[in-house]
Amino acid sequence: MKEFLAYAKMALPDLLQGTVVTLELTAGALLIGLAIGLPLSLMRVYGGRLIQPLCTAYLTVFRGTPLLVQLFVVYYGLPEIGVAFSRMTAAFLTLGCNSGAYQCEYFRGAIQAVSTGQMQAARGIGMSRLQGIRHIILPQALRLVIPAWSNEFIAMVKYTAIVFLIAVPDLMSKAKILSSQNFAPIQTYVLVAMIYLVLVGALGLMLHVVQQKLAVPGLDFGMDKR
Amino acid sequence: MPLPVLRIEKLCKSFGNTAVITDVSFDVIPSEVIVVIGSSGTGKSTMLQCINLLLRPTSGRIFLEEKEITAPGVNQDNVRRQMGMVFQEFNLFNHLTVLGNVTIGMVKVSGIPAKQAKEKALQELERVGMAEHCEKYPAQLSGGQKQRVGIARALGMDPKVMLFDEPTSALDPELTGEVLAVMQKLAAEGMTMIIVSHEMGFAREVADRVIFMENGTIEEQGIPDQIFSTPRSERTRKFLSVIRPGKSV
Ligand SMILES: Nc1ncnc2c1ncn2[C@@H]1O[C@H](COP(=O)(O)OP(=O)(O)O)[C@@H](O)[C@H]1O
Ligand SMILES: [Mg+2]
Repeated sequence: MKEFLAYAKMALPDLLQGTVVTLELTAGALLIGLAIGLPLSLMRVYGGRLIQPLCTAYLTVFRGTPLLVQLFVVYYGLPEIGVAFSRMTAAFLTLGCNSGAYQCEYFRGAIQAVSTGQMQAARGIGMSRLQGIRHIILPQALRLVIPAWSNEFIAMVKYTAIVFLIAVPDLMSKAKILSSQNFAPIQTYVLVAMIYLVLVGALGLMLHVVQQKLAVPGLDFGMDKR
Repeated sequence: MPLPVLRIEKLCKSFGNTAVITDVSFDVIPSEVIVVIGSSGTGKSTMLQCINLLLRPTSGRIFLEEKEITAPGVNQDNVRRQMGMVFQEFNLFNHLTVLGNVTIGMVKVSGIPAKQAKEKALQELERVGMAEHCEKYPAQLSGGQKQRVGIARALGMDPKVMLFDEPTSALDPELTGEVLAVMQKLAAEGMTMIIVSHEMGFAREVADRVIFMENGTIEEQGIPDQIFSTPRSERTRKFLSVIRPGKSV
């Protein structure tokens, strides 16, 4: 135990550096995913026959292939046709585009969970479709989506670990280096697991607080019944 | 004869090949209260939604205060703003308080400053007896209270005519009274209203005219006494005997 603590003390600064990168990747990927997923979900629900197949194609590609394959295509494949990214950019792009596909489906579910009567009533007082989406549908859908979105958030913390395969210096990469330098795989990876656990726990708690703050009586998926 | 608030001319509505409304025409004069009755699936809701352009009529023309609203190029959102719609399922905005439900249209659609909107909203809520519940959310209200807020929300837009689609059908019997009382008060204040309802007592007491719809068209219309006591159409008679079993006509 004493040995482990000593090792932890030595390894932590490096691991924390990696943790910062992991958090950056998580945040970046979620934001890119949001910027893609939310508009995509609106197109999927409200878009015409021309737009919908495009959305479906996007979803099929990103949800139908392994994340690792997507990462390698972006980082090793695209340069062959002249589109090269830095490691970090490739990581952000891949994780973000992938997350966008999943977020799209969460948002779509939440939008469709808002009853059609809400839009009718919005139109009934003279709102345009766009106003109805903005002032009536989205404020409800965004509250409904929080539980699913929290899962995506927490999953993303863990998904980012695959970027060590293109040598982005995240928590996992740092761990791999430390572990082989010190011949200490067990100590290192136990430590890494603990850091991931703390991250996931803290974020879960944070999202729960946000959900409570935004809660409106009667507007949830039957959770937190009062 | 005063100019009609609303004139419906040869209204038809089909969904694909299914004709739901066929050749409906009638005028609505200021302060007139029309109750529309008819069996389920006969096109009453479809007709109301065509009137305020929530559905696009397949053919026919509709005039609001002499202006054709079915003409090309008319701002349909603006038309809808001028007609209040009250729904069977209330459709209150779930994420907004009672006050928010009434102000949002005033602020976002009519562009009234928030403070003024709040004052006006409280007046409308007072009219339906819901001012004291203004901070509550829809989920915290009874059905009758929800519907009264639904009415206040429509009133807030200063509509030229109010359309009600079975406003009490989703309510427990003991809660219909409070909603009907509000509607009766509006009628007494001179609001022009088209009400789809099966509350025969209310129709008899409040309606200026009763329209009986069958198979997407007007089968018979007249003053309540005539429709209820001496219906001319066999179908009207049949419908009334089903809806009011025991009361022979
Ligand atoms: N969007 C729609 N698409 C196809 N058919 C519809 C649609 N809306 C209503 N209908 C049909 O139109 C008919 C009349 O419906 P509705 O106007 O709701 O009748 P009511 O309100 O008198 O009960 C019904 O047969 C219904 O199935
Ligand atoms: Mg109906």
